Amino acid sequence: MVTREAFLTRLFNSQFAGPGNSILGMFGLRADDPQHPWADFIVMQLVVALIMVLLFLLLRSRLSVTKPGALQHVFELIHGFVGETADDQVGHEGRKHVVLFETLFIFILISNLLGIVPQFMSPTQAVYVPCGMAILAFLYYNYIGFKRQGAWKYTKQFFGPIPVMAPLMLPIEIISHLARPLSLTIRLFANMYAGEQVTLVFLSLTYFAVPAVFMGLHVFVSLLQAYIFMLMTMMYIGGAVSEEH
Amino acid sequence: MKSQSMVRKMFFMMFAMMFVALPIFAQGTGGSIPEKLYSPLAAGIGMGLASGLCALGQGKAVAGAAEGMARNPAATGAIRFALILGLVLIESLALYTFAIIFVKV
Repeated sequence: MVTREAFLTRLFNSQFAGPGNSILGMFGLRADDPQHPWADFIVMQLVVALIMVLLFLLLRSRLSVTKPGALQHVFELIHGFVGETADDQVGHEGRKHVVLFETLFIFILISNLLGIVPQFMSPTQAVYVPCGMAILAFLYYNYIGFKRQGAWKYTKQFFGPIPVMAPLMLPIEIISHLARPLSLTIRLFANMYAGEQVTLVFLSLTYFAVPAVFMGLHVFVSLLQAYIFMLMTMMYIGGAVSEEH
Repeated sequence: MKSQSMVRKMFFMMFAMMFVALPIFAQGTGGSIPEKLYSPLAAGIGMGLASGLCALGQGKAVAGAAEGMARNPAATGAIRFALILGLVLIESLALYTFAIIFVKV
């Protein structure tokens, strides 16, 4: 898809091609091009992980009860916001899963915003990254549902409230559950990819000011998509733990 | 004056014909149509339909939300939440089209 590699990916491929191939070899895989085993999105994910670790190390060293700094204020705000949304969507036990929600939110947010920086690209622009996170969310809410309600009660949800309707409801429910990771994946991936493409199209028309407008729009979309991904995960978990019928 | 506009018209018609004719000339003598020939056309039409209808749906949603907020400003938070959720769900339908275009073209 991407013909030109980002600067960091080139560096990784020239320096760490051997280790990359051996990591792939451990899983019985082989890179299409042994000279370039590192894909853009993997290197960018490593960058995002590094940014997150450094950010939180910095935050950790500056934590203070009496004199909170600007960074601490920002993250307290994010934490409070995520916690409140979790309470609204999941219910009284929403705070238990806040770790997953906040990790997803911050990871997706930094990933999306990384695309704005020159020489970097959003990992979420490759379909594999949103897909991985969506599968994680899917497995997690099913696991929580099983754990919280027990196998029998959770499975019973799939049959619907009326026994006569069960043969009709079961395929519908299964398909709608399987469509959830698909829609999570496509929403995030397509938004990020389309945002980048629109900027590129306008860059090919003119260098004057217009592409910057679309980059601004991309920032807004990045925030919104990170929020939406988190929100949908919350709603799925809320549906898995709620005891209706 | 009149002859000048006539010449202009002829000029434009000629150019229009040339634009239409180019792909026909480019097709060569082979009788079979290449599989990917019409896929950009289909992508354009499909994406246009999808985003146009998506815009209609989103417009209706925003109109309803704005009306609700105007009637009951106290419920702004809940309405905004439902609005954003609805907008995203509507938008993802157009994005499915985009994803199919991305895969197939």
